[in-house]
Amino acid sequence: MKSRQLIGRLWATGPRRRGAVLATAAAVAAMAAPALGAGTAAAHVVRRDALHGVVTIGASVSLSGDFSATGKTTEQGYQAFQTWANEHGGILGHKVVFKFLSDGSSPTQVTTDYQKLITVTHVNFLVGPYSTLLTKPASEVANRYHMALVEGIGGGPSVFEAGLHNVFDVSASAVYQGISFAKWVAKVYKPQPVAYAAITTPFNEPIVTGIKNYLDSKGFTTAVYKVYPLETADFTPIASAIAATHAKIVAIGSQPPDGEGLIKDFVSSGYNPTVLFEVSGPDQGTGFVKAVGKQNTTGVMWPNTWYPGANEGVVNTEMEKILEKEIHVKSVSLLSANMAEAFSAAQTLREAVDHIKSLTNAKLIAYMHSSKAKFTSVQGPVCFKSTGQNACATPFVFQWQHSKQLQVLPSTAAGSSKVMNPKPKWGQSKY
Amino acid sequence: MAVAEAAPELLSPAEIDRAFRDPFSPSKRTKATSWIVLLAVLTAFPLVFTNPAVTSIGVFTMFFLLAVVGWNIFSGYSGYISIGHAVYYGFGQYTVALLIMHLGITSGVSELAIVPLAGLAGAAVAVPVGLLVLRVRRHTFIVLTIAVMFIFQLLAFNFPSITGGSTGLNVTPPPWSGNDYNLPFYYIALGTAAIGLLTSWAVRRSKFGLGLLAIRDDEDRAKGLGIKVTRAKLIALVLSAFFVGIAGGLYAIFIGQVFPQFAFTPFYDLYLAVFAFVGGLGTLSGPVFGALLLGPLQQYFELQFGATTLYLIIYGVLFVVILLALPRGIVPSLADRYRTFLASRWRRAEERRGVEGSGVTAGSMIASAPGAAPAERGGS
Amino acid sequence: MLVLQGIVDGILAGALYALMGSGLTLVFGVMEVINFAQGIIVVLGAYFTYTFASHLGVDPFVTLLLTIPIMFTLGYAVYMLLLRPIKRDRVIMSLLVMYATAVVIEGVLDLIFGGTLVEVTASYGTSSVHLGSLDFPNVYLLAFGLSAVLLAALYWILYHTKFGRSLRATTQNLTAAKLVGINVDHVSALTLGIGVGLGAAGGMLFGMTTPFNAASSYDLISRLLVIVILGGFGSVWGAGVAAIVMLVIEDVVAVVWSPVWGQTIFYLVLALVLMFRPQGLFGRRLARAQ
Repeated sequence: MKSRQLIGRLWATGPRRRGAVLATAAAVAAMAAPALGAGTAAAHVVRRDALHGVVTIGASVSLSGDFSATGKTTEQGYQAFQTWANEHGGILGHKVVFKFLSDGSSPTQVTTDYQKLITVTHVNFLVGPYSTLLTKPASEVANRYHMALVEGIGGGPSVFEAGLHNVFDVSASAVYQGISFAKWVAKVYKPQPVAYAAITTPFNEPIVTGIKNYLDSKGFTTAVYKVYPLETADFTPIASAIAATHAKIVAIGSQPPDGEGLIKDFVSSGYNPTVLFEVSGPDQGTGFVKAVGKQNTTGVMWPNTWYPGANEGVVNTEMEKILEKEIHVKSVSLLSANMAEAFSAAQTLREAVDHIKSLTNAKLIAYMHSSKAKFTSVQGPVCFKSTGQNACATPFVFQWQHSKQLQVLPSTAAGSSKVMNPKPKWGQSKY
Repeated sequence: MAVAEAAPELLSPAEIDRAFRDPFSPSKRTKATSWIVLLAVLTAFPLVFTNPAVTSIGVFTMFFLLAVVGWNIFSGYSGYISIGHAVYYGFGQYTVALLIMHLGITSGVSELAIVPLAGLAGAAVAVPVGLLVLRVRRHTFIVLTIAVMFIFQLLAFNFPSITGGSTGLNVTPPPWSGNDYNLPFYYIALGTAAIGLLTSWAVRRSKFGLGLLAIRDDEDRAKGLGIKVTRAKLIALVLSAFFVGIAGGLYAIFIGQVFPQFAFTPFYDLYLAVFAFVGGLGTLSGPVFGALLLGPLQQYFELQFGATTLYLIIYGVLFVVILLALPRGIVPSLADRYRTFLASRWRRAEERRGVEGSGVTAGSMIASAPGAAPAERGGS
Repeated sequence: MLVLQGIVDGILAGALYALMGSGLTLVFGVMEVINFAQGIIVVLGAYFTYTFASHLGVDPFVTLLLTIPIMFTLGYAVYMLLLRPIKRDRVIMSLLVMYATAVVIEGVLDLIFGGTLVEVTASYGTSSVHLGSLDFPNVYLLAFGLSAVLLAALYWILYHTKFGRSLRATTQNLTAAKLVGINVDHVSALTLGIGVGLGAAGGMLFGMTTPFNAASSYDLISRLLVIVILGGFGSVWGAGVAAIVMLVIEDVVAVVWSPVWGQTIFYLVLALVLMFRPQGLFGRRLARAQ
C-alpha cells in the first residue's frame, strides 16, 4: 500500500518532477540505443575479415528456459575451447575470444541474437546454439549474411532439409546415430519383434525411426512403438507396455531423465530384455549410475560421438583437464557430451581457418565443402556432405560393462571392445 | 414545468455528447494527431535505426503489436481473458508452412502474399473453438483456453504425416540479404496492426462493441437487455483470431520453421495477456503501449542481462512493480492521474477566481470526481 | 493385467498430484487467486529438500520439518506484500502478479543452481513392492502415504479448528465473513501460507520421483491447473479425485495406446467435462456475483 501511494505521489507532484522522470527515461533510452548498436546503415557493413588483434567467435546459448541445463554445458564446451586454443597459439596466431548471448531457449531470441552477433558485435565466425530447434533459425540468419555456422548440437533432419549451404554439423546426425547399432542387431539376431519408444523431439525421434526403418527392411517387426511427449511425468505406463510385449530387443529414443526412469521401472518390474539401447541417459556418467544403481548398469548400450575419458588423443585429454578445472567437477566422468560437441565445432572451425589462412567466411564455406577438407576433432574425424552433415562421423555405440563405459561398435573401429551379449539380468552382474 | 423537465430528453446526441464530455480528456483532434505521430514514428523507426539487430527486435515487437491489438478486440472488450490465442497463432503458422511447401512457393513476395490466408485459417478455426470454450466464464474460461491450446499442440505432434510431428516443418524464407530482410516483415506487420487498430476502433464505437462492453460488465444483464451474447462473443473472437493468425503466418516465414512446441506455446498466450494488461485492458491505446514497451524491453533484457541469468529477476521485479503501482494498466492509470492533476489545478484556479455562481455542469461534475474511474474504460 | 498396472500407476501418481494441487485449489477457494506460482513453489520445495538433504545428510522426509515452516512464511509474506494491495480485477491481476513472482523465483533458482537437472535420492528409491504381477514402486508408495497424511491433516484443520471455520466461511461468502468479524486478510495470508507449504511438501516427493530444474515448473503448473479446474476450483476433495481420475486415464491410454494420445485425451476429457459442468466435478455453482 505504502509503495503504491509513494509512486502515486511521485506522479502527482506536478509537471516539473514528471518532466525529470521523463527526461531520465529519455536519457536511459539514449544510453540504451548505442548499447544495442543502433547505428547508421554504413556502420554495420563491415569488413568481417578485419582483425582487431583478436579473432571473435559468436554463439547464442540457452541460459534460461527449457534448455537451461544443456545450454550451460554448451557454453562450458566453448569456453574450454577458448582456453585450450589460447594455450595453443589461438587462431592464425591471434587470441580467440568468444562472445555469448543468451536466448532463453526461444527461436525468437535466437534470431535477434545472431543478428546482433553479426551486425553489432561484428564477430568473425559463428558457432551453433543448443538443439535442433534453435539451430535452424540460427542457420537462416547466418545464411543471410553469407556466414558459416559450425555446430555440434543440432543434428535433427530439419536442419539439413532447408538446403542451406552454410551449416556444418561436426557430430553424427540424428538419422545416422543409431545405424551402427541397427546393423549389429540385424547381424546378430534373427528377425523378431522389437520394442521402440521415443520422446517427441526433432533429434531423438529420428534416431529411433532410423533404427526402425533399417530393421524393418531386414524383416524385423515392431512389437510396440510408444511416442511420448516432453511433458511426460510418469514413465511407468510406457515401461509396463514395453515389458508386456516380452520383446528381447528394446530401442528407446530417450533423453535424461526418462532414460534412467524407464530402466528403474524395468528393474522394478523384473523385465529383462537381452538388448537395451537408449539414446540418452546411460551417457550421463555418474548421474546414470546413481539413478539406476551400479548393479543395473551392465549391458546397457547407447550411441554417442564422445564419452568421458574417450581415447581420442592429446586434445581430448587436454580438454577434459580444462573442463575439470574450469567447472570444478569432481571427476571427468561427470562431463557431458554436449561439452565435447561444442568443443568439436569450435575445434573444426579453427582447423579450417588455420588452413585457409583467412578470416573470410566465403572462403571458409568453400573450403569446408571441398572434398579434400578433412578434420580431426575430439569426437573423431569430420568431413562434410553438401547438406552439411558429417559424412566421416563414426556413429559409435557404447556399453556399460562392469561400471565402465566401453566403446563396442562398430566392431572394426580402433579401440572397440567386444559387445556383451546378451545383457545380464538386472542386478546379476558383478560390478 | 413538466415541459422543462422533459427537455433533457429532447437533446440531440451531439448535445448530450458535449454536455457529458470529460473536459480534461484530450480532444478528438489531439487524439487523432497523437495516433498519426505514433504511426509516423513507427514508420520512420527502421529507417533511422537501420541496424538489423535493432530492426529484428522491431519486427518481433510489430508481430506482438499486431497480435495484442487483435487479442484485445475479443478479450479486452468482452472481459473473457483468453490464454489460448496460440491456437490461432499456431494455425496461422502451419497454414503458411503447408501452403508454401505444397504449392512450392519460393519467391519472397508470393510467400508474403499468402499470409492473409493464415489469418483466415485462424478465423476459421476460431468458430468451432469458440463454440466450445464460450460456454463457460471467468477462471474456468481461462483454464479451458489453456487446455484447448495444449490439445492443438499435442495434435500437431500426433499427426506427423500432416504436420511433420516433432521434426516440424521447414519454411524457406525469402532469399533477401541480411540488411534488407527485416523491413518487409516490419512494414507488413505494422500495416496490419494499423488495420487491426482501425477495426478495434470501429468495434469500440459500434453498437456491437457496446454489446461486448455490456457483456464484460454484466453478461446476464446484457442478455436480459436483448444482446445476442454468444453471437457477439463469437464474432469478436473470430475477428481477433484473424489478426493473431496473420501474426503466426508472418512469424513462420520470418523464422523459417514451424515446431509444435513453438507454434502452440503457452508463453505466447501469457505474453499477449501481460502486454494488454500492463498497457490497459480493453482500451484502444493500452495494448499498443503494452506491446511497444514490454515487447522490446523483454528482448533487450535477454540480450543485455541474459548471459548473467539476472534477466528473469529484473524482468519479474519490474513487472510486479508496474502491476502494483499502475493496477489498471499504464494508459488508464496515467490518464487518471493526469486528469486528477488537471482537475485539481482547475479547481484551484476556480477558487482563486472566486466562486462565480454555481454553474455546475455535467462536465465539471465528472471532472470534480475524476478518480472515480469512468465506466467506459474504452475511452482512452 | 496391463490395464490394471496402468490404473495402479495412475492412482499412485495421482495422489502426488493431488497433494501438489490441494494448495492451489485451497487458495483459490478462499481468495479467488489463481496461484500461477504453485509450479515454481513445488520446484522451490524440491530444491530446499535437495539442499538440506545433501548438506545435512538427513533423510528427505526429515527436511520437511525445515522446508514447510520456511515455505509457510514465504506464502504469508507474499500475500501481505503482493496480493493484499490488489483491489480490482482480482482474478486476473492476482494471476499476473503470481506469474511475475514465479518469474522472479525462477530467476533466483537459475542463479543459484544453474539449471542442471538434479534429483533427490534416497536409498530406498529404486526398489518396489510386488503384489502378484503388479508392482508398486517404493517412492510412489511413500508419496501416496505422505499425501494421505497431509491431506488428512488439512481436512482436520478445515473442519475441526476455529481457523478452519473462518477459512470455510471466507470461502463461502467473503462479505459475510467480513461482517461477522473475521480478519479476512489474516485468514487469506494463512491460507496462502498453508497452500505454499503443501506445495513444498509435494515438491519433496516430486524431487524424489523426477529429476528437475527451475524450468520444470511450467509443465507442473499447466497440469495442476487442469486438475484443479476439473475437480472444481476451491474443492480440495475435487482436486484429489480429479488428479487420480486424470492420471489413471492418461496412464491407461499410454499403456494400451500411446503416451502422446494419453496426454491429448487428458486435455480432451477436461474440455468435455467443462462443457457440461463448467464448475468442475465438485465445484460450487458460482454463487458469488461478478
